[in-house]
Amino acid sequence: MDLYAAPGSGAPGARELLSPGSSIRRHFEGLADNLLSLGNRPMSVVVTGPEPGAGCSSVCLGISGALAGTGRRAAVVDCNLRNPALHRMLGEPNFLGLTTGLVGYRALEHYGFEAVPGVFAVPTGPVPADPDAPLRSGRFVEAVRGLGGGRDLVLLDAPVADRVLEFPALCGGFDGVLLVVHATRTSKNTAREVTEDLLDAGVNLLGVVLNSFANGTS
Amino acid sequence: MPSTNGRNWQRGRGEDPILPEVLYVLWERRLLVVGAVLVLVLVAAVFGLRGERLYTAEASVSVRPQEGPGIGEAPETFVDDVLAAVTAHDFLLDVMREAGWTEGPGAFQDRLDVERYEEAAGAAGLRVRFSGSSAEEAARSANAYASVFVDRVEKLNDSRLAGGTLAADASIDEYASPESRVNYQLFFLAIAATVAGILVGGTAAMLLESRTRSWRDVRDAELTLRAPVLGVIPDYSEEN
Repeated sequence: MDLYAAPGSGAPGARELLSPGSSIRRHFEGLADNLLSLGNRPMSVVVTGPEPGAGCSSVCLGISGALAGTGRRAAVVDCNLRNPALHRMLGEPNFLGLTTGLVGYRALEHYGFEAVPGVFAVPTGPVPADPDAPLRSGRFVEAVRGLGGGRDLVLLDAPVADRVLEFPALCGGFDGVLLVVHATRTSKNTAREVTEDLLDAGVNLLGVVLNSFANGTS
Repeated sequence: MPSTNGRNWQRGRGEDPILPEVLYVLWERRLLVVGAVLVLVLVAAVFGLRGERLYTAEASVSVRPQEGPGIGEAPETFVDDVLAAVTAHDFLLDVMREAGWTEGPGAFQDRLDVERYEEAAGAAGLRVRFSGSSAEEAARSANAYASVFVDRVEKLNDSRLAGGTLAADASIDEYASPESRVNYQLFFLAIAATVAGILVGGTAAMLLESRTRSWRDVRDAELTLRAPVLGVIPDYSEEN
């Protein structure tokens, strides 16, 4: 699949996020640089938000697109099993993905696709009756971390922060958590409470992304 | 670059004062705070100007024992004794008459403030303050109190010769003058209104700030969340 060459495929947002000529590319490049320049450079990052609609999937794609644009490689795994979004944004079916990978015998590498060169995407796959079961699977952390081989960063498109706190694998199984705050939808109170909750739970909160900022000049 | 690296920011997080955040919010919502201050100051000004304006004047009277039982007594106790003896019989009525006071004794007493003082050298006496609706009235009343007090002490000294026990010298050290003191009630009212305005406006600003869904900039996010902001992504929805 080539999102650059096939403008009709994928959501318009995904094309904007992955296109090298996009006006927002430089902002994601800055974000990716900041992320990778943190002490104890994170290799796998859980991306979550205080509430639905903060833009976690977009941020995951934007960061991975920015990394790919500078010759690096990244993977995005959709872990939001109650509200899968990645496959829709990329205009792909959801027959294979995280859930099928966790019950299969092969590495998760075989259950995703190359969205654009350098960006490997793993959708949720078919959602089981108990959508939480894959995230509690003993193989989950190991399988996702396995995507890091030969890649600079693995991003987990996670459920909202309250749900992340319910899964020890998401809280502590990866190198850190990135909190996405929507600049016009997330209330300050909610964002502050979620930040406190994450830190109280011992999560390694790497930092915050201010998404959909109206001015965009900060 | 992010403002802090790795987990370093988390270690000092609990120790961070919230004062910068409060000051930031007050500054960002300064119009609200200033508005609240102005409204309350205006209300206080209207209230203060509509009410009676009071002037305060002060006279001071020194009291010393002559001889006899008062000599060994502590100065403040002696002054108390003299005050009690002097003000026993219709004293206030005489003062009111002397001052030309036409309202009742209750109103006179409300505006009168008599305070005992004692100096390091052992001198003691009374400070007589009176708040009047004019500077002249205030001075006249304070001086009337002082002069009636001195007269009464002299009369008591005379009566000692006829068997009394008090022996004191009293003199007016300083007469109250009409411009001796300005009442700062309006000023204090304005100060109180300003403080109340800052509190009310500040509380409203903090309340609005916690409920708002509008983030101003990186500094706003970092102060609110006390966490580093790694990136700001502009809204690109219109471009789609």
